[in-house]
Amino acid sequence: MHGELKHEDVEAARRDLADRTLSKIRGDLARLIYLASMRDYNTGVYHHEGLACMFTESVAGKAIASCHRDVFRRLVLCSVKELVDQLELYARTNCSSSSELARVWANLQPYRVTVPLECSPLAGRFFVSNIKAALAILHSRQLRAHREPLSALPGP
Amino acid sequence: MSVLAYLLLALLTIFNIFLFLSRRGRRRDSNQDGDGTGLGMSIPFGWDPLDSELSARIFDPEDADFVACETSRRDARQFRQGRTALALDWLREVRGQVNQLIRAHVRAVRGNASLKPADEIRLGFEFLLFQLTSGILYLVISACGPPRVAKLVGYSLELAGQLRMVTEDVLPADRQVAVELLEGKQEPKN
Repeated sequence: MHGELKHEDVEAARRDLADRTLSKIRGDLARLIYLASMRDYNTGVYHHEGLACMFTESVAGKAIASCHRDVFRRLVLCSVKELVDQLELYARTNCSSSSELARVWANLQPYRVTVPLECSPLAGRFFVSNIKAALAILHSRQLRAHREPLSALPGP
Repeated sequence: MSVLAYLLLALLTIFNIFLFLSRRGRRRDSNQDGDGTGLGMSIPFGWDPLDSELSARIFDPEDADFVACETSRRDARQFRQGRTALALDWLREVRGQVNQLIRAHVRAVRGNASLKPADEIRLGFEFLLFQLTSGILYLVISACGPPRVAKLVGYSLELAGQLRMVTEDVLPADRQVAVELLEGKQEPKN
C-alpha cells in the first residue's frame, strides 16, 4: 500500500516536472542537459528544490531520474540526422552558433555527463558515438558554408 | 559421403574461428574500456540488449549513409569502425545472456524427474543453431560492418527469443525462479 502510494507520488512529480518545466524547453537535447545538470556528480542524486518542496526530496529525485531516462532513451533511438537537427535547435535556442557549439563540444565533450546512471554501457557508448558523428557533420557543414562564398568570388 | 565430411569440416572450422574470436573479444573487453568513455566499467548493465529497438538502430544503414554523405572520408570511416565495435559488443551481450539463461536452465533441471527428453533435445538444437548463427554474425560484422547483416540479426534474435520461451516452457513452475531472476535483472528500468 505504501509502495503504491509512493509510486503515485513519483508519477505526480513526473507530471508536474513535465508540464511546468520540460514542456517549456525546446528539444530533447536541451531537456537532457537540463535534467543531467540537476544531478550531483559525486552521488548521482538529483536535486530540485521546488519539486522537493511540493513532494519529498526522494520522490523528486526519482521523478527527475525517470524523466532523464525517458529523454535519454528517445535520443538514443533517434537517427544521427535527427541528432544534428537537435544540436542546431539547441545552438539556436542558446544564442550560440552551430559552429561555436561544435567547436566547444568537441573539446569539452559535455554530452558524456548527460548519460543516466542506470543506462547500459552499450546505450551510453552508442549515444556518445552518435553525438560525435553529429558534431562532425555540423563541423563539415560549417567548412562547406565557409568555402562556398570563397568559390563564388570571381577569379583573377 | 565426402560432401558431408567437407560440410562437417567447414562447420567445425567456422565454430573454431568463432570460438577464437569471441574469446579474444572477451579478453579485449576485460583489458580496455571501449572508446575510453569510462562508461563500460562504471555503469551497471540495465538496458536489455535483446531490446529490438536498440539493435535495430545499431544495424540500421541509414546513419552510416548519412554520415558518409555529410562528412569527410576519415570521419565516415571512424563512424563505421565505431558502429562495428558497438555491434560486436551487442552480439557479445546477447550471447552472454543466452549462455546465462542456458546455464540457469541446466542448473534448474538437474535432477528433475519430470524432464522431457524431446524438449531438452529441441532446446539443445536451438542453442547450437543460435551459437552457429551468432558465430557467423560475428565474422560477417567484423568483415563487412553491421548494416550488411541486419536480416541475420533479426533471425538470431528470433532464435534467442525462442530459446527464452523454450527454457520457460520446459522448466517446472517451482524451478523457474532462476529464469525469473535472470529476466528481472534484464528488464529496462524506465
